[in-house]
Amino acid sequence: MSRTIKNIVVTTCFIAFILGFFVINAVVPDAELSRSERRRLVALPAFTWAKLFSGDLFEEFDKYTVDQFVLRDFFRGVKAYASYNLFGRLDNNDIYMTDGSIIKIEYPLNEQAVLNAAKKFNYIYEQYLNGLDVYYSVIPDKNYFSAQKNGHLAMDYKRMLELLQSGIKEYKYIDIFDCLDLEDYYSTDIHWRQDRIMDVAARLLEGMGNPYRPSDTRYEARKLTPFFGSYYGQAALRVQPDDLVYMTNDLLETAIVYDFETRSESNVYMPDKFNGVDPYDVFLSGAKALLTVTNPMPVSDRELIIFRDSFGSSIAPLLLEGYSRITLVDLRYVATGLLDEYIDFSENTDILFLYNTIIINNSYMLK
Amino acid sequence: MLFSSITFLYYFLPAVLVLYYLVPSSMKNTVLLAASLFFYFYGEPAYSILMIMASLSGYLHGLWIEKARNGRFAKVPLVSSIILGLGPLVYFKYTDFLISNVNTVFGSNLTPLRLALPIGISFYTFQIMSYTIDVYRGKAGVQRNFFDFATYVSLFPQLIAGPIVRYTTIEAELENRTHSLDDFAYGVNRFIIGLSKKVLLANTLGELGKVFSSIDDKTLLLYWTYAVAFTLQIYFDFSGYSDMAIGMGRMLGFRFLENFNYPLISGSITEFWRRWHMSLGTWFRDYVYIPMGGNRISRLKWLRNITVVWLLTGLWHGAEWNFVIWGLYFALFLALEKLFLKKLLDRIPSVFRHLYTLFFILISFVIFNADGMAECIMNLKGMFGMLGVPLTSSATTYYLRSYALTLVVAAIAATPVVTDLLNKLSQKSRGAAIINALEPVVLGLLLLVVTGYLVDGSFNPFLYFRF
Repeated sequence: MSRTIKNIVVTTCFIAFILGFFVINAVVPDAELSRSERRRLVALPAFTWAKLFSGDLFEEFDKYTVDQFVLRDFFRGVKAYASYNLFGRLDNNDIYMTDGSIIKIEYPLNEQAVLNAAKKFNYIYEQYLNGLDVYYSVIPDKNYFSAQKNGHLAMDYKRMLELLQSGIKEYKYIDIFDCLDLEDYYSTDIHWRQDRIMDVAARLLEGMGNPYRPSDTRYEARKLTPFFGSYYGQAALRVQPDDLVYMTNDLLETAIVYDFETRSESNVYMPDKFNGVDPYDVFLSGAKALLTVTNPMPVSDRELIIFRDSFGSSIAPLLLEGYSRITLVDLRYVATGLLDEYIDFSENTDILFLYNTIIINNSYMLK
Repeated sequence: MLFSSITFLYYFLPAVLVLYYLVPSSMKNTVLLAASLFFYFYGEPAYSILMIMASLSGYLHGLWIEKARNGRFAKVPLVSSIILGLGPLVYFKYTDFLISNVNTVFGSNLTPLRLALPIGISFYTFQIMSYTIDVYRGKAGVQRNFFDFATYVSLFPQLIAGPIVRYTTIEAELENRTHSLDDFAYGVNRFIIGLSKKVLLANTLGELGKVFSSIDDKTLLLYWTYAVAFTLQIYFDFSGYSDMAIGMGRMLGFRFLENFNYPLISGSITEFWRRWHMSLGTWFRDYVYIPMGGNRISRLKWLRNITVVWLLTGLWHGAEWNFVIWGLYFALFLALEKLFLKKLLDRIPSVFRHLYTLFFILISFVIFNADGMAECIMNLKGMFGMLGVPLTSSATTYYLRSYALTLVVAAIAATPVVTDLLNKLSQKSRGAAIINALEPVVLGLLLLVVTGYLVDGSFNPFLYFRF
């Protein structure tokens, strides 16, 4: 190729590229949501003279142009690919892939956050739970299973458990780490798979002295597909989607879920939410401050209160048959001081604190 | 507005280029001036007036200097231009430094003004001063058209982070410049290379710097990795910006002088400063060092001159003691090299000359990047094992592995190895044809990947914006 032709190609391609995207970005309508990132995208900022002269208008415009750039997911994929394959980075924005599973690095251990979680749990005990049977369990995040094997960074899980055990003496610890491995979690999501945690549910029930034991034979597996989990969008790489399988039976189909916030009733499983922003909302309608799930065919009058994060949404249905009612409390959305306005902490109740390691390591989000 | 932003790359730049090439030659400076003022207003609405007033002051002083030439008070307008030019720079940049030192020395309790530093003030102030001084010296013709002068001062490619383009460099081009396909394509090449240096290398190395700052259990190896990473980061950050400026200048018909010439391959500190931020180095040489007598004076006065110039160079970079020490650190090495060290260095194998230079350059940038003297001392202690930190840790190993390839690519790109190879290849007709065929592909891929990094919205500040 001659130098002149090369210069024509370079000039033409450059102008076409930047001008092309200028025109396309101007013409293509803005998107409201990014499904892959599960968030609302920045809209074109409204003009005000005050914002113009303070510079806020331009700051907002910069964010807008990045968020609304056409082919955003494709370009994020290009970046992720270049990061891993051209520059040999071991992670991209703390995300890495191993054996087809997308994993997020949670590092380092935030000891102050763990102590804060213990302090919070102790406060709740002193306020509401004195004399009751109180248990806690910790759900390892996916990085626990693969970090060491793949040479990635991981928080000091042993230290986290030691801090919790020394910080919350009134609680009985139920260890579920050995019931889980990486295959028990979705490849594209942070959460565990409900169809793979029967043994976890059994361990928790055993730990709380409840005779009920869930097993695959007691449930019918229903599959929703394809399931693109929250890590799929964060990884920005093409990987095989998961199947979202939920385990149901007559009892769970007829159980009533009551939402204190909206004062409405719904079902345990909400398959129509599979096509929403977060398909994991199929389980107990997703993030909710305070729910009760009532067993329509109770064999015991014992109740369970679970202080939980989103992992609790999928395991609670597997525990329901052992209780007459389960109350689920998400301290990220309800203040600790308001709990006794809604919950009856009676003696015939088991209390379970069930949190994954990421929440404990970032416990300041608990109210 | 950052060059390395979606807004600049896919909104501002195409709009300006289209407008610029659509209008007739007589309107081109008007388009550039309007675009440059908008560019500055976008990043610094509050201080846009200050930049315009500085331009007006420089313009009027140029006329006054011309008018007073050969008169009894010919120096008055020059002194006035320097005082009025430096006034805002000193006020915005050094007042709080002065207040904090007065408070420390006299135990007073003066309240700092906490002024935001107007973006690019150090650069445009020096450009305007170069104009008035050169007009006084008769090296530059006086510019009688304010809009052309304002275009020179505010020209967006070099407005906020250099290179410090002297009026004499583009005096002729301001009035009459040519545009060609070759120049435009060269400009595109330089712009994309500069953008890639900034986004793919400097920003990634900057992330490593952030890791260093945030990690609690630092190790000896991490301290040194940080020193290497920051040295490479600031080089690619600033030289990338200069490449983009030079590239865009060429697209618009201007030929700015080079600002970097592979400084990290230098065999002495003296050579390093001939290759690093050349527009600043030559500015201080021509407007401070030589007027003070340069080196054609007694040894004592020469030492005074070199100390003053490097004290000012340090202060130009920032109003903190670590910048003062950074400047004096170089004054010391330059003096030592001039006195005897250079002769010693010339006698030892070149590998040791390079190691000597790199070692002291690394140390200098640790001093440079510290957030105050306490951090500076802490980092230097850490590097030399005086904090009792372990040699390494699993976290250090992880980050080294994760950034190893970036560090290697950056180290190679900091040398002329690739450029030399391409130059050698292009001397053969077949090699030239292959390079010509590959160049658009490589540039296209780089632009694609850079866009990916920008859309992903990662770490992206320009280090030299704070000067």
